[in-house]
Amino acid sequence: MSEENEIKSQLVEKFGFLNETTIPRARRLFADVPLGKFSEVFDYAVKQMKFSILCTITGLDEGASLGFIYHLARPSGIVLNLHTKAPKEKPVIKTVTGYFPAADAYERELADLLGAKVEGLPEGNRYPLPDDWPAGQYPLRKDWKVEMLDGKGANENATS
Amino acid sequence: MALLKKIVTWARIKSPWIIHFNTGACNACDIEIIASLTPTFDIERFGILLKGTPRHADVLVCSGPVTRQIKDRLIRIYEQMPEPKFVVAVGTCACSGGVFKSCYNVKGGINEVIPVSVFIPGCPASPKAIIDGVVKLLASLEETPVAAKG
Amino acid sequence: MPHRNFKIPIGPQHPALKEPECFQIVLNGEKITSSGVRLGYNHRGIEKACEQQTYIQDMYLLERVCGICSHSHATCFIQAVEEIAGLEVPKRALYIRTLIAELERIHSHLLWLGVAGHEVGFDTLLMYTWRDREVVMDLLAMLTGNRVNYGMNTIGGVRRDITAEQIPQILKAVDILEERTKYYIQIATEEITFIKRLSNVGVVAYEDAIRLGAVGPTARASGVERDVRHDDPYAAYGELSFNVITDKHCDVYGRAVVRVGELMESYKMIRQLLANMPEGPITVKAPRKIKPGQAFSRYEAPRGEDVHYVQANGTDKPERVKVRAPTLANVQAVSHMLKDGYLADLPIVIAAIDPCFSCTDRMIAVCDENKSPEILTWPALRQRSIEWHRSRGIDFSQLNREFKIPQGT
Repeated sequence: MSEENEIKSQLVEKFGFLNETTIPRARRLFADVPLGKFSEVFDYAVKQMKFSILCTITGLDEGASLGFIYHLARPSGIVLNLHTKAPKEKPVIKTVTGYFPAADAYERELADLLGAKVEGLPEGNRYPLPDDWPAGQYPLRKDWKVEMLDGKGANENATS
Repeated sequence: MALLKKIVTWARIKSPWIIHFNTGACNACDIEIIASLTPTFDIERFGILLKGTPRHADVLVCSGPVTRQIKDRLIRIYEQMPEPKFVVAVGTCACSGGVFKSCYNVKGGINEVIPVSVFIPGCPASPKAIIDGVVKLLASLEETPVAAKG
Repeated sequence: MPHRNFKIPIGPQHPALKEPECFQIVLNGEKITSSGVRLGYNHRGIEKACEQQTYIQDMYLLERVCGICSHSHATCFIQAVEEIAGLEVPKRALYIRTLIAELERIHSHLLWLGVAGHEVGFDTLLMYTWRDREVVMDLLAMLTGNRVNYGMNTIGGVRRDITAEQIPQILKAVDILEERTKYYIQIATEEITFIKRLSNVGVVAYEDAIRLGAVGPTARASGVERDVRHDDPYAAYGELSFNVITDKHCDVYGRAVVRVGELMESYKMIRQLLANMPEGPITVKAPRKIKPGQAFSRYEAPRGEDVHYVQANGTDKPERVKVRAPTLANVQAVSHMLKDGYLADLPIVIAAIDPCFSCTDRMIAVCDENKSPEILTWPALRQRSIEWHRSRGIDFSQLNREFKIPQGT
């Protein structure tokens, strides 16, 4: 059995709801994880299955919810992409900085650009938006347009 | 080559002092600016000195598009320069915003914010283009009376 | 004199304005007790712009995320798009992409060597390495039409072919560069001043490199054997034979050793690529609209692992493009590197992760409790650092005098 299939088997054995996990090509797995089970799956993948690298976290605007994909990798080159989502009215996820200190920047990006609320994220500077960015404006949300910045301060965008 | 010799002689007397400022884009232009200082291109033969503070500079060599957060700093640096002062916009981003014009945090080229004397396009502007632009600026200075540096 | 804790923001700064700094340093005397990182000052909004432009336009935009790793970002992105579209890129195109990739690595590492030299006061190293770099820039201009931002890729392959006449020119350039790199290896292994200046500075132990998520030469200098070309091969790397260069010094010196070693590996790889270049087309027809799907692409840029996530929605514009450049992964290790080190070592420690050049070209404000804040520029901090080390016996003036500065190519 290939390493990818072994990983899938191991995941499904432990978490039956992961049976829809796909293997689109060599060294790539994509799995959908319900938010309530995410911490458990993440912990298992990192601690028991040796996915010791967090490449990054991708945030998505999925309409009614915010999606989050945690891209975990192993030294052997296999990437396990764990997707979860939270409703926009309550876009709360837990920090993974306890496992990966570098997740700090990735999680702040989710907060700044998409409006996610990351529980447990330590005090720190925001990233990547500047301090004077208007509150409540999340540029990566699909309904955000750059014209919304015009209301704040003088309109300094070039005409046309 | 007579004009070039005239410029070289003039530049040796005048020795313009330059401050380089990057408004935070991809750095390709900055690297080409530094490359102009290295032996292959050697812009220092025109007597140009790279300075660390705007208060001593004649020429602001600027790369990158203007982002929201860099705009005020750019104005501040320009204001700190003594008269007469000149601005060289290096690269397409500095000229017009370039590929980043469509990005929400980018306002446009340097001339949206401060007056520009010379536009050097290119993505990035090559060292040869940079030298050409700077020499053209020096030549134009020769035509305009410039107050002696104290 | 009682110990005083100075807070030094290092970054774009003016006393009259509140602006984001790069690094916030707390000093106790000359030693750094802690530091924090503040990023985002050159945030442009590229990911959002990607959703509003076509895939090809996005590739040109992403090439300009960083002026050194432009081919890295373009290729990493286009690989994801090709995967979603289910395209089989012709082998010849993959070889050409890999050739440009390794040439990019060479020019980037030579650039870094020069910048590192400049940071410690070894300016002739800057002049030498950037002269050599011009050999690569000329080659890239010949092959792609531009010194930087090559525009070599398209969806489904590459836009320009390598001709038979170009191959001997590339090989000749590689021979020249290999000879010159041997000289840099000599400096790295024999020049005491160089070794002393870079040793035990910016230390990151093996376990910390892994825990902090360091990538590229920064991680490999701590003995972490991690290289995407080897672990998760892409383009033509699966068919090449090369070593992953690691070092056990765990410091800035190790990072220099790794980069110089990687240069030698790149020369080997280029010769293999040219010797085994497959015949055939350089591109395969690609649809304008990309069917719904997603892909995660990884690439070993000169500074480390670059990752792109792309989601397609059936139109000619992507639904989502996410980019995590290598510097973001490494900059979070910098706080750890600076701790318990001297302020005078700060310039070379930051330079050693090979950040975007503009990250290191910033103003610094020194805040002293008893005086009003004064502005120091980065060049002034570098000068202070050079003088500080000179007073402790580490001085590059002699080496600068010994080396003839080469004129012309």
